[in-house]
Amino acid sequence: MSGLSISKRLADALFEAAYLSLITLFIAFSVIPVIVAVVLSFDARSFIGPFPPKQFSLRWYESFLADSYYRDGLVTSLILATVATLIATIAGTLAAIALSRATFRGRAALQAALLSPLVVPNVVLGFGMLIFASRLGIIDGMTRLIMGHVLITFPYVMRTTAASLVGIKASYYEAALSLGAKPWKALAQVTLPLARTGILAGAVFGFVTSFDDVGVSLFLTDAYTFTLPVAILAQMRANLDLTIAALSVVFIVATVLLIVLLDRLAGLDAIVGRGVYGR
Amino acid sequence: MAVLELQNITKRFGAATAVDNVSFEVERGEVVALLGPSGCGKTTTLRMIAGFEWPDEGRIFIGGADMEVRQPYDRNVGLVFQDYALFPHMSVAQNIAFGMKNRGVPRAEISRRIDEVLEQVQLPGIAGRRPSQLSGGQQQRVALARALVTRPDIMLLDEPLSNLDAKLRLQLRREIRNILSTFDCTSIIVTHDQEEAMGLADRIVLMNRGRIEQVDTPHALYQSPKTLFAADFIGHANWIGGTLSRRGGGAGVVETALGSVAVAPGGIADGAVTLCIRPERLALVDGEAGADTRLDAVVERHDPIGADLRIWSRLKDGTLVQSLEKNVGRDLPAPGSAVTLGFRAADCIVLPGARP
Ligand SMILES: Nc1ncnc2c1ncn2[C@@H]1O[C@H](COP(=O)(O)OP(=O)(O)O)[C@@H](O)[C@H]1O
Ligand SMILES: [Mg+2]
Repeated sequence: MSGLSISKRLADALFEAAYLSLITLFIAFSVIPVIVAVVLSFDARSFIGPFPPKQFSLRWYESFLADSYYRDGLVTSLILATVATLIATIAGTLAAIALSRATFRGRAALQAALLSPLVVPNVVLGFGMLIFASRLGIIDGMTRLIMGHVLITFPYVMRTTAASLVGIKASYYEAALSLGAKPWKALAQVTLPLARTGILAGAVFGFVTSFDDVGVSLFLTDAYTFTLPVAILAQMRANLDLTIAALSVVFIVATVLLIVLLDRLAGLDAIVGRGVYGR
Repeated sequence: MAVLELQNITKRFGAATAVDNVSFEVERGEVVALLGPSGCGKTTTLRMIAGFEWPDEGRIFIGGADMEVRQPYDRNVGLVFQDYALFPHMSVAQNIAFGMKNRGVPRAEISRRIDEVLEQVQLPGIAGRRPSQLSGGQQQRVALARALVTRPDIMLLDEPLSNLDAKLRLQLRREIRNILSTFDCTSIIVTHDQEEAMGLADRIVLMNRGRIEQVDTPHALYQSPKTLFAADFIGHANWIGGTLSRRGGGAGVVETALGSVAVAPGGIADGAVTLCIRPERLALVDGEAGADTRLDAVVERHDPIGADLRIWSRLKDGTLVQSLEKNVGRDLPAPGSAVTLGFRAADCIVLPGARP
């Protein structure tokens, strides 16, 4: 009896140990590259040498700021991500609302089609968009990029909004109607505010996806309009130096700032965890 | 003129008929209960009145106006949902103001009416709170206030007490009754609870499987049900099956397994019938007086239920019947003893058809 319980306890302990080491390994794998990049970005050496560096400086940050190529890329990326996210948020929210009310037969198929950019490789999407744009006679880089990036950010907004709409009881909308609100007003004053965490979460994911994208952008940039990730990629081929590490840190800081800002605006809890009004 | 009139309303969902040829009227100031078991079409009927479902057949009139093409926001109905549906992102005051803003009530008037209505539902001083900070009973009253404050032609309440615990339910039943009469508001209350319907309504529309069984006052529904379903759904009953035949002069006799029973059959056709005797009309008899029909029985057990004692007895044919005796300190026959139960012809309700 007691022998059994001891071996059982031992098995439990072993399992726990294995479980904890797995998690530790996982965290190490995701955090170590970040730490390495941050440390290397302050490396004073002019070449990529053994880790850790002995001396530190801000030279790679200066090099980044001095390089108009990267600066242009950053500006383009920011404008692109902002515009594409705005368009995708409006379109994705409207699509999610329309789909949540639709009762026709092809509803599920239409939803799958609208979400498909999530599973189609970005290179395929980028190539497709390039052909599509040239057919339409659109050769302006920014216009093409916005079209491509709306395509990849839209599904995020639609999906998270659709998910939060599912949690909103139909009786809220109906109560608004019976209190004399026209449908658009009921949507704007009741449904949308209740779905706002989903919409915001989708917009954040969409923004980050756009900012981070290489696959689609690679096909749609032109000589004058290119995004930061594309610029990094090109520079990496041409002359690999630690400016890229400095850039990575800028990326990380920008993301953290975005998250802090969102936390202020809506409560981080609400965006990644349970909804504000969820039960 | 009736505030609300339903004419031959039918609603189908696919092959299933949820509401089947329903007609009734609600007069000004009247509180009507839509009563029936779960799934009988009460909510669907209410949703058609509110404009969220469209009848396949029939017409609905509110205040004399045909609702055929009238959207929910153009109907002046006040709706209280089963889950209250208070907007969680708005304060109590904002919830109550919502309907008035949509109907163009001036700003100063809105804030005056918010205070007034919260006073009337006995929740002064909670205007700034969120719905999530209120108890179930408070939410319920805010939902009532939100609907009432727009002065609707008719109030529609769907199972207003079903989300509350038993004790609160009783208390709020009385409060709803008071609030509705304060506003002198024409109302329909949907419920599956017969006691709730009896306690709240001036009239009851009893529904079963999408159809109306009977429309009557609570008293009349209990006293003279017209169908087996109505007699069964409301109150307790003892059942005796038999065959009705008439002698001269309108008096009838029902031949049962227990012998002949003299009845006053009213308009019911000769043939298979079921007799319904309410427990309080079935009495222990000794001596000759009082009863038109006597039945031999053996007492099985007693249920003390406060003011009354319920006595369960078995008849000769094996049927278990219940009778009520006032709890006045009299000695009652012990279980196992033979008794005679009796009832008057007038206390025996004759219903068409045999019980399944
Ligand atoms: N939107 C709907 N689609 C399909 N069937 C429905 C719908 N609404 C109600 N029903 C069906 O109609 C019948 C009546 O429902 P309901 O009016 O909700 O009953 P009650 O409120 O009396 O419990 C039920 O059988 C229910 O399943
Ligand atoms: Mg219902």
